[in-house]
Order: sequence, then structure tokens, then C-alpha cells
Amino acid sequence: MNQIKSFISKESWSPYLAGIVLGTVGLLTVLLANTLLGASGAFESIAGLIGKKIAPSVFSNVYWGVEGGRAMPVIRPEITWSVILLVGVFIGGTLAALSSRTFKFRFNDDTQWKRIFGPQPWKRWVLGFLGAIIVAYGAGIAGGCTSGLAISGGMLFVPAAFLFMAGFMVSGIITILIVYGRRY
Amino acid sequence: MTTFIIAVVLGIGFGFSLNKAGLTKYHKIANQFRFTDMTILKYMMTAICVAMTGLYIFRGLGWVTFPTVPATYILGNLIGGLIFGVGMALAGY
Repeated sequence: MNQIKSFISKESWSPYLAGIVLGTVGLLTVLLANTLLGASGAFESIAGLIGKKIAPSVFSNVYWGVEGGRAMPVIRPEITWSVILLVGVFIGGTLAALSSRTFKFRFNDDTQWKRIFGPQPWKRWVLGFLGAIIVAYGAGIAGGCTSGLAISGGMLFVPAAFLFMAGFMVSGIITILIVYGRRY
Repeated sequence: MTTFIIAVVLGIGFGFSLNKAGLTKYHKIANQFRFTDMTILKYMMTAICVAMTGLYIFRGLGWVTFPTVPATYILGNLIGGLIFGVGMALAGY
């Protein structure tokens, strides 16, 4: 019993073990809900939901669906299954941080980040915000993010998943090369 | 209602494993692109292998039918991936 307790409270597990957990979750998603894991779609659904309330004319397009239109929208602007999943992800992440006693409100405490960019938290926020916009845009074009396309597509042997993985590895390496420069 | 409970429970598993694998930390993401820390690839590939094996066994047993798979359109997936990588390396999440 104590062994299980100390195992759960470890700060980080072997990535292979955590991967097995995620693989089982992905498997159960298909088995129990007959759908795929995904994160970015939920954000787009919420964005569509808010946008349709604020500026219906702007958000009435092929992507979020036209009112009374016959074509199925790419992203349904409603509380979808993956929005609920995201609530669970939040709870799960918090529980994991609490279990390993690493739960803490942090603004910028990554030593590597501080070494590269300096200690100012605002830089972290600006870069994080810009990066997040680019990530969401790329995910919207590709049709999924690392979880929705790369992992869920990969487990179904979908070519799109492997194209997407190749894409983000290539541009990620180039971006880090540019940002880190000689410190790479 | 049941589907929502399933979603929350699966989400908890998802979030828990992400946190325990350390993917909530900036240096894990950045160092993957420098090839000094291979956590992301180990984590993603293990997950894909486990789920893939299980899914094809379950389909063979007739327990599941595959949901609609993500569409493949070569240019879109590739360009989307290229843009995604820039953001991922900058934000580090």
C-alpha cells in the first residue's frame, strides 16, 4: 500500500509508463465513447460559441456553420464531448500536481527559460500568448493538435498524423535553432 | 449524462498522465527539439503503440468500429504541422 502511495506521489513517471496510461485512455475513448481524444477542437468550439453570441455575422461561415445552412460545420459551436474532456484534463492535471506536491501558482520559474531569455515574467507571457495563437492556427489548418491528430490519428494509422508529426518536428527544430542560436 | 461522466473520467486520466510525464514543463518541450531530452517522443510513441495494438485487436474481436478518422489532405496537414511547430517551440507547452 505504501509502495503504491509513494509511486503515485512521485513527481514524474517514466515516459513509457505515462505513455501506456495515455494509450489506455485513448483506447477506452474509442471503446466507451466511439470518438477520439482531442484538445484543440474544444477550444475552437468554445471560440465559436462565444463568437456566435458577440458577432454572429463574422462567425457565420463554413468553419463554424451557417445558420440554417445544409453543410455540416467543421467545428460545432456548442458544448461538445471534447469540451467536457478538457474539464477532466484540467482536474486530472491538478490532481497529479497535488499528488506530487508540486502544485503552485507559477509565473516563470523554469531555469532553462530564465537562462535563455532572462528572468522577466512578462516575456514568458508574451511569447506564450503568441505561441498559443500560432499553435491554435496551425492546429486549425491541419485538423487537429498533438493529441487529436498525432496520437489519435497515429493509433488508427492515418497518414495525416505522420505528416503532421513530421511538420511540427521540422519547424520546431528550426525555430529552436533560431531562438537559441549558438546556445543550441 | 453517462457520456459526460465518461468524458470527465477519461480527461482526468489524460491530464494525470500528461502531468506525470512532465509535458507541462517548458524545458521538456524545448529540449525535445534540441534532442537532449526525448520524453515527448517516448511518451507519444508508447501511447500510439499501446492504443494501436489494442484497437486492432478489439476490431478483430468485433468489439469496436473505428470512428471517423481525421481526414488526410497532404498540403493542409503538412503546412498546419509546420505552423504548429513554430508555436510549440515558442510557447513551450
